[in-house]
Amino acid sequence: MKKKSLLERNYDFQPRINFPDYKSSILRAPSKEKISFPSTLSEVSGPVFTTNILGKNDNDLTLNFSKNNNSPLGHKILVYGNLKDQFLNPIEGALIEIWQANASGKYLHPNDKTPTPIDPNFAGCGRYISASDGYYEFLTIQPGPYPYPNRGIEWRPMHIHFSIFGKSFGQRLITQMYFEGDPLIKLCPMVNSIPDEKAINSLIGLLDTSKSSSHNILAYKFDIILRGANQTYFENKKEGL
Amino acid sequence: MENINKIYKETPFQTAGPFLHIGCMPNSVGIEGIYNSDIGTNPFPNKQSEDLIKITGSIFDGKGEALDDVLLETWQSDENGKYSEVCGFARFVPDKITKTFSLFTVKPGPVKNFDGKLQSPHILLSISSRGLNMSLNTRIYFDDDNLKNDPLISFIVENHNDESSLVAKKIDKKNYLFNVFLQGDAETIFLNL
Repeated sequence: MKKKSLLERNYDFQPRINFPDYKSSILRAPSKEKISFPSTLSEVSGPVFTTNILGKNDNDLTLNFSKNNNSPLGHKILVYGNLKDQFLNPIEGALIEIWQANASGKYLHPNDKTPTPIDPNFAGCGRYISASDGYYEFLTIQPGPYPYPNRGIEWRPMHIHFSIFGKSFGQRLITQMYFEGDPLIKLCPMVNSIPDEKAINSLIGLLDTSKSSSHNILAYKFDIILRGANQTYFENKKEGL
Repeated sequence: MENINKIYKETPFQTAGPFLHIGCMPNSVGIEGIYNSDIGTNPFPNKQSEDLIKITGSIFDGKGEALDDVLLETWQSDENGKYSEVCGFARFVPDKITKTFSLFTVKPGPVKNFDGKLQSPHILLSISSRGLNMSLNTRIYFDDDNLKNDPLISFIVENHNDESSLVAKKIDKKNYLFNVFLQGDAETIFLNL
């Protein structure tokens, strides 16, 4: 039987769970040490999603909620990159879901009380299934920064939320992409919950003018690395699973 | 020749925030017409409702308040302990009024691990929300199963921890209760996957 085990997670490169500067974490972050144990089949297996769940405009947020072909407000951006594992092997067939605020920094969500307008032509959700080389892309608009209550009112840097399924449930990643040059990144407690500067920089989408000109839009490149897995053969048994 | 692979660092997590439903369950917050249906609404579409169990519970914060803005995801085998790529994944949120989640699913069977040993029936549960800089992971076991020989439960017991926070309580033939406590004396055991 083939034994697969996920690489041990490097927590120096991950955000602190207990990080009181981010106020919402105070009543939610567990305080006990988590328990580590070797991967079992339960963690290395995972659901598979195929392109037949996708609609035509699922990765075009400028179109997928547009009414009468009206464009959402804001400037168009292309967000693209490659999904790889920790050995830089491309990950094909992974479901990538994104969500974001509109150009004025407002989410189309009943809980968003920010006093800024919604955009009737923009919902802010998209999804894509990575190609054979791990490539993904979304056409969207530049999300605005927005204020939120934390230690007083603070501002979130412009960002896009990403949720990614790999091949294993234990590879699952939920994160955010920031935008190169945004001065709010440095001030954000959610960003600063990550103790390693290189790790923070890996969350910043980089302006790519080469791709921008050909599409008449600004392009940002954001590569994503999911946990890798080691494979070894375990005993000489028939695959019984 | 030996092939030494450089191991790159995994992209770090960031919180899923309060508006994760837009991306993960848009139909549940009234964003209709983009996705035909939200994924994970039915982990075993080919099963009849009489074949399903119902697991209910709440996610409590440090003040003892049940949360309604968390996203829950589960991954499990079928009743025979087999994982399939197309079944076994569920995604759901607590009810806005009762603050209780309900998972309708099959009771998983014992899962054979790589070494051929059986794990007791269990469901992986992942919790993402505002205030959590990384998703939390735990397992749901069942109190009407023999858990003594399960490798994870034995490991926890051997290390003098109380495994009971991972065990759903049977209410009746089809119903189980599983509460999660993020903090406090009853804090749930969370796992590094």
